Amino acid sequence: MSVLPWLVAAWLFAIGVYGIVTSRNFIHLIGCLSVCQSSTYVLLLSIGYRWGGVVPVFYDQPVGTPAVDPVVQALVLTDIVVGATIAALLLAMVIQVGRKDDTLDPQRLRPLVREGRR
Amino acid sequence: MIPPLDLVPLPAVLPLAVAAAMLTAAHFLPARVPDAVAMLTALAVAAIAAVLAADSAQSGMLVYWFGGWTPRPGVVLGIGFGVDSASAGIAAFIGLLFAATIVFAWGYFDEVHAHFHVLMLLFLGAMEGFCLTRDLFNLFVWFEVMSVAAFALTAYHLERPSLVGALNFTVTNSLASFMMLAGIGLIYARVGALDFQALSTAVARQGADPVTIGAFCLLAAALMIKAAIVPFHFWLSDAHAVAPSPVCVIFSGAMVAVGLFALAKLAFWVFAGSAEARFLVRDCFMALGGTTAILGALMAWGQRHLKRMLAFSTIAHLGIMLAGVAALSSTGLAGLFVYIVGHGLVKGSLFMLAGVLLATRASIDELELRGLGRGLGPAGIAMTVAGLLLGGAPWGVLDAGMRLIGAAARGGTGVAVEAAIVFAAALTGGAVLRATGRIFLGLGSKPDPAEVEVPTEAEQKEADRPLWLMMTPCVALLVLALLPGHLAAKAGLAAAAGFGHEGLASAAGITAVKLSEAPPIAATLLAIAIAAFDLARDRLPPLLYRSTDRAAGPLFRGLGVLHSGLVGDYVAWICLGLGGFALALAFG
Amino acid sequence: MRPRLVIAALGGLGLLPAIWKIALAMPAFGEPTGAYGPVVNRLGPPLRHVSNMVGAVNFDFRGLDTLGEELMLVAAVTGTVLLLRGIRGEDLSARPATAGLPVVKRAESTILVSRLLGPLVLLFGFYMAMHGMTTPGGGFQGGVALASGLLLLYVGDGYRAWRTLMRSPLLAAVEGGGALLFALAGFLPMVDGKAYMENVLPLGNIRDVFSGGLMLVENGGVALAVAGGFAMLFLEFLEETRAIDGEDRG
Repeated sequence: MSVLPWLVAAWLFAIGVYGIVTSRNFIHLIGCLSVCQSSTYVLLLSIGYRWGGVVPVFYDQPVGTPAVDPVVQALVLTDIVVGATIAALLLAMVIQVGRKDDTLDPQRLRPLVREGRR
Repeated sequence: MIPPLDLVPLPAVLPLAVAAAMLTAAHFLPARVPDAVAMLTALAVAAIAAVLAADSAQSGMLVYWFGGWTPRPGVVLGIGFGVDSASAGIAAFIGLLFAATIVFAWGYFDEVHAHFHVLMLLFLGAMEGFCLTRDLFNLFVWFEVMSVAAFALTAYHLERPSLVGALNFTVTNSLASFMMLAGIGLIYARVGALDFQALSTAVARQGADPVTIGAFCLLAAALMIKAAIVPFHFWLSDAHAVAPSPVCVIFSGAMVAVGLFALAKLAFWVFAGSAEARFLVRDCFMALGGTTAILGALMAWGQRHLKRMLAFSTIAHLGIMLAGVAALSSTGLAGLFVYIVGHGLVKGSLFMLAGVLLATRASIDELELRGLGRGLGPAGIAMTVAGLLLGGAPWGVLDAGMRLIGAAARGGTGVAVEAAIVFAAALTGGAVLRATGRIFLGLGSKPDPAEVEVPTEAEQKEADRPLWLMMTPCVALLVLALLPGHLAAKAGLAAAAGFGHEGLASAAGITAVKLSEAPPIAATLLAIAIAAFDLARDRLPPLLYRSTDRAAGPLFRGLGVLHSGLVGDYVAWICLGLGGFALALAFG
Repeated sequence: MRPRLVIAALGGLGLLPAIWKIALAMPAFGEPTGAYGPVVNRLGPPLRHVSNMVGAVNFDFRGLDTLGEELMLVAAVTGTVLLLRGIRGEDLSARPATAGLPVVKRAESTILVSRLLGPLVLLFGFYMAMHGMTTPGGGFQGGVALASGLLLLYVGDGYRAWRTLMRSPLLAAVEGGGALLFALAGFLPMVDGKAYMENVLPLGNIRDVFSGGLMLVENGGVALAVAGGFAMLFLEFLEETRAIDGEDRG
């Protein structure tokens, strides 16, 4: 039971990576990247959880009540911002790619592939 | 006089505040004001960091607690900056490089309301914070700000190659940031702290522990993705080849190398007490460094797209820098610091020269440009000097770094890695010299007309600016790169002695480093020979070339297949690299 | 595709035992051992007079992270604007098109619900941003809610109405101004010789809306930056739906 949260986090990361590796569409790939990121949410929040702990907001409950770790929650908030920023940038790039090509397949879009020896 | 300690937050915070102010007023600022403001800010940052470097060289690490949260007994509550002379010195160099780049790009990014300058200032502030912080999560925050600014700048041209290059860059580096975050999570779960010193103490007490070493693997892999170490390096050539030249100056000159600087902080400070981490660094990373140097150099030699060639040469030199970290000695560390600065100066000026060619001759293809450099005399001279320096010529800062790292590697693993370093320097320098000869002197065989059109889709012509404006920062960087090497080596050794919390002074033997003359001279001669061999193709007996081509052909074809430009492949290689770390630890 | 799966699978195989070992060695779930979180929970309320500890970590204990986070958002918004405007051209984006592409015909009920909910969501966003120091919420969450309240305007009344209200210079000023407010709030204590972001303002009473001193200013800055930034993102992405009318073609 105790290992379950960590395995869930690893599993989420793994299927996200599998999705990226096999993806044939950039929008799908961005979704997979978000799945990878979700694993960090699971990991961080599980680390801070305390059995029977309350929310770390001492409005209705006296200071000293056992509460979950507020630090990891703050870290997750930053993590969420990271997710939003990356998604916005990637989607903007994909929109531009979509305007130039009729495909969003990473297999068919390559940067500067032709090398040519000197 | 303001006490130096009060200056500590400024290198990071000042550019961020100026960027926010510039964004607020973007629609009302007259043209050129953003250029001037950004340049002055970068110079101010460089000056402040230089003051901090001088002060910390005297009095040891300056520790600054944001929000006044000085540590309570047993727990660090806030975020600290820990400024030693290495961090501040590299921070000062970054400020200088930004200032030069902004001069180089003067008037380049006209059309958009100061957006370029806002991004550059955020980039600068993030890199300064990344160098100075002593908090693991704060390091992640700056890592990410840096990345986000870089992603957007890469795609600036909005051509297909730049978009796909930026997508590959974004996907791989985002994975890196998730891995970094997972590593932070693991170590936080184990010790409940984020401050470097608190972590270091706890790790040393911990002993062998899968969670701790797992955290180190994830963090190291993330930083090695940023620093483009084999097998995590694939994104770099795609991104650097397509980003605007001024942006490449920053990417190659500073961004990737600070990834290794952070790795050095982890290896020498945070995880210094973990035997497994030391094993991984000394044995695996040394081998990875040598491999990266050789692979990057071969790839660089095989390119005709100038920016792509420089990108691969950056990969090669990052491999050399990693060897400096992996030696786990103060000599290697000093070499790393000196090399970061020396390489940044030389590579920055080379990317500026590529930008000059793109702006004045509208091409970046070595064969297409054959002989077109006539009339750009100063650029030709600068490129020759830069090529020689990259090839290991025994002058200046880069050379000092190379000798230090070479000495450290020899002490660590024998001559194999040092030979790889000499080989990589010679090959990358030779490639640059070959291009110089072809472009500025018209040497080498005439390109086959059918082949000239091949390499890329229409290359974006970069905005034309006066030649002197573009050449001034480039020459300035080269002049700095030619400053006496022994002074740089001395400063580097002193910085290595004061690195981290308690410094490495105890590691001893730091003054008595014997720096051999032979490797740099061998590397330079080899570089010139390689360039001459390539350029003399018409004049020497064809038999000579047929045999080398037969040997090299399959090798280059194989390498070309590996560097496929497909992000799925790159992510698969990242998996393999991470799995390799795990296996090395299991059986090492 | 096949070789790459093999490469990834090899890496995965190497990682499997390592993951299992780490999972077993992790501290037991639900029983964290670190001191950082509990100490914050214990010291935060008496030292900073605020009841929301996540807010206290964000704006006081680890305020620098949040400054970096805001500027990360600014960088992403600026970058997205740069990427999306590139082709349309700066002038075109500043000027609204006469119409948006007809996406789907809106039902009367959609319009009604959007118009009813819009102001409520705005009000809720404002409330959430205001109470960041006392109850769950804060500038970031409130800012996102504010921006999505604005988005309801598009859902209900379409491109024209949305563009008459949203002006990119104004949004950029709100976004940049919010971030600037945050950065400058940090400088305030330095005038007095204190550390960057040291909380020097009167702290107020715990459980009061106006508690937390400097945190309130920073929180306000974040709310502005996030609302402005997200509205800017929506604006640029919605510009993708603009109809190509006569004057644009020239």
